[in-house]
Amino acid sequence: MGDIIANRGKLFFKVNPSLKFLLTSSLFILYLFVHNLNTMIWASVFFLVLYVFACGLSGKWSFGFVLLTLILSLFSASAMILFGKGNTVIFHYSLIMMTQESLARGIMLGLRTFCFSLIGMVFATTTLPVPFFYSLMQQLKVPVRYAYGCLAAFRMLPVMGEELGHIRQAMRVRGMANQHGVKAFSNKMIRYLLMMLAQSIRRAQRTAIAMEAKRFSMTEARTYYYEIGWSVYDLYFLFILLITVTSGFICSSLFPVTPFTNVLDH
Amino acid sequence: MMSLTNKEDRWGVEKLRLAFPKKNTMLFKDVSFHFEAKEKILLLGPSGCGKSTFLHVLSGLAPKSIELPMRTKWKRIPERWGYIFQDPETQFCMPYVDEEIAFVLENRRIPRVRMPQLIQYYLDLVQLKLQNSHQLIRTLSGGMKQRLAIASILALEPEILFLDEPTALLDPEGTETLWQTVRRIGHDRTLIIVEHKIDHVLDFIDRVVLFNADGEIFADGPKNDILTRYKSKLDAFGIWHPDAWAGYSGRKELQNTDSIDRDSPVLTLKHFVVYRQKKAQFTAEQLTIFRGEWVAIIGRNGAGKSTLIEGIMGLLRSNGQIQWPFKKPEDHVQFVFQNPEHQFITDTVEDELAFSLRIQKLSDDEIEHRVSRQLEKYDLKNERLQHPFQLSTGQKRRLSVASAMINHPDVLILDEPTFGQDARNTFALLDLFQQLQNEGTTIVMVTHEMEIVRRFATHVVHVDGGRIIKDDCDGYKQSGGAEWVTS
Repeated sequence: MGDIIANRGKLFFKVNPSLKFLLTSSLFILYLFVHNLNTMIWASVFFLVLYVFACGLSGKWSFGFVLLTLILSLFSASAMILFGKGNTVIFHYSLIMMTQESLARGIMLGLRTFCFSLIGMVFATTTLPVPFFYSLMQQLKVPVRYAYGCLAAFRMLPVMGEELGHIRQAMRVRGMANQHGVKAFSNKMIRYLLMMLAQSIRRAQRTAIAMEAKRFSMTEARTYYYEIGWSVYDLYFLFILLITVTSGFICSSLFPVTPFTNVLDH
Repeated sequence: MMSLTNKEDRWGVEKLRLAFPKKNTMLFKDVSFHFEAKEKILLLGPSGCGKSTFLHVLSGLAPKSIELPMRTKWKRIPERWGYIFQDPETQFCMPYVDEEIAFVLENRRIPRVRMPQLIQYYLDLVQLKLQNSHQLIRTLSGGMKQRLAIASILALEPEILFLDEPTALLDPEGTETLWQTVRRIGHDRTLIIVEHKIDHVLDFIDRVVLFNADGEIFADGPKNDILTRYKSKLDAFGIWHPDAWAGYSGRKELQNTDSIDRDSPVLTLKHFVVYRQKKAQFTAEQLTIFRGEWVAIIGRNGAGKSTLIEGIMGLLRSNGQIQWPFKKPEDHVQFVFQNPEHQFITDTVEDELAFSLRIQKLSDDEIEHRVSRQLEKYDLKNERLQHPFQLSTGQKRRLSVASAMINHPDVLILDEPTFGQDARNTFALLDLFQQLQNEGTTIVMVTHEMEIVRRFATHVVHVDGGRIIKDDCDGYKQSGGAEWVTS
């Protein structure tokens, strides 16, 4: 997982992870209450720009992800566009009815999905798990047992990936891969899930015992290998986000691209 | 006796009683054991006698972290101890080497500024030489992981080290380095070791404790006394001692060339290239395997042994010519993974055996008949309804071979089948493979164990750097053997 993150020197890597976490989650809430299509359009533009500059992925992956997000957004938009209610009908064929209002609402929904994915991705690709959980413990006072529990779980992700490979090989060797049909497929999926679950429980148990054998205590005070503090980068981050968000709002009132200022109204 | 038990550096249990939940019999009944500072103790016993559980009790992990119903008349658990577990994968909770040791230092509330220096100090103690200590743990080899585990345990500054078969999942090279490390760091510490490969352990321990199958201690004393007096017991327990092989092969003539049919090849490779992640990893210009042979594929770590057989099995992409004399090779060729757990895809021993038969849609009577016979033959009758993961190491291996053999394949391909097995299980497996070979099955196995190559293989393929560097159809013995280089 760590291999696809290309450039760890970028500015957003140096921002305090707790601050980054709180601010990005508040952005989600903010855009949940935006019903102005113009604002959403401009916000998408600005967040795309931010994403291009701040994202921690290498070029190829980063482009691939934008493409994937666009497709996802189209899906979430299409349901609203094709079956929504409204007065001005643009297109009608049997069950499908497209109206101007539903089109606006659909685009709104699609862009919201798009924005949320971009914001989430900017956060996820510039935040490494270890500093993130250390920061949660130090700044947000998250109990150590959750933080270290999550870290131990992170360590198991690549192991689980390997295991998936093993099960796939076992299925082939044992002749299950040659089985076709719905029943065989569902059987196979159940086997996959059960095996992964059984192995994960066993591993988690062993790791927990090993952690306690290393005198991990859920209640006592501890020191920290990484001291996650504040820096001038946190201010930069705050400014960049503020500029991105406000320029979206300002542009939408100065250059409204569509007449839909409240998609819920019509 | 009682007056002694209050001495400062003397620990242990008296009249320990312990049972596993849902089991009728007690694992330990009134077991007493004491140990003192600086002692080097080896616990031996047949598999399943509860040695690991005993270590859990002595360290206090049971019942504190592992909840087990137990009772003792007297017990004194040391304060400063460290525990090395069998599985290198599940001992760590952080992604990087330095963070893992730091985790222990954090637990001990060592100030942050002292940590980097201490991390380097503990890595040096186990001679784990890394260019940068901020390295991903999963990029280390098994042996390096176990040494990291020791380094992180040393960060606890323990007086007593409990080692629970720390080399069970390591190759011979990793095993040797690990015991050298333990020997060095254990010099002024107390060591309590559970292990069944005792070659490397014997010269630095001074006390041996023998358990019997009922979890009773029946002998406890200085190393030399115990080992000479109870030598026959070591074989019965399946302990790998220096004379284990001699005791086994003394019984009969082993190498079997009568079953080989040189007119009927079962596998022919020509210009066979195996790819891993789109890169050519193995090239076999020419290889022919005949019916009834016992083929050993040998070579150093990373030489490409597993790549070759996974390519043959079609688990990796390959190019070139591969010829079986069968219409549907998958019905005639079976594969057994190195880790038997990777083989299992059902929830009971019975289902595991019946799995491929059900795919072939055999009648229930036929399935029942074949499964029962296989349970009998592979000594798994009493485990019929157990989950495969709950079996012992030896039983897991037998089950994986039994389920591969239930269809009477012509060729059985195995990746290090004796890896991690105790001597008794290994010898039982070898007997079994030989019986299969006598019945006409072709055996192809990757192995590190030169004793097997020397004693059983009729055809040795030596692999290095992704190529076959020597292909000897007459086996090891006939060709003199001296020029074979082992890892």
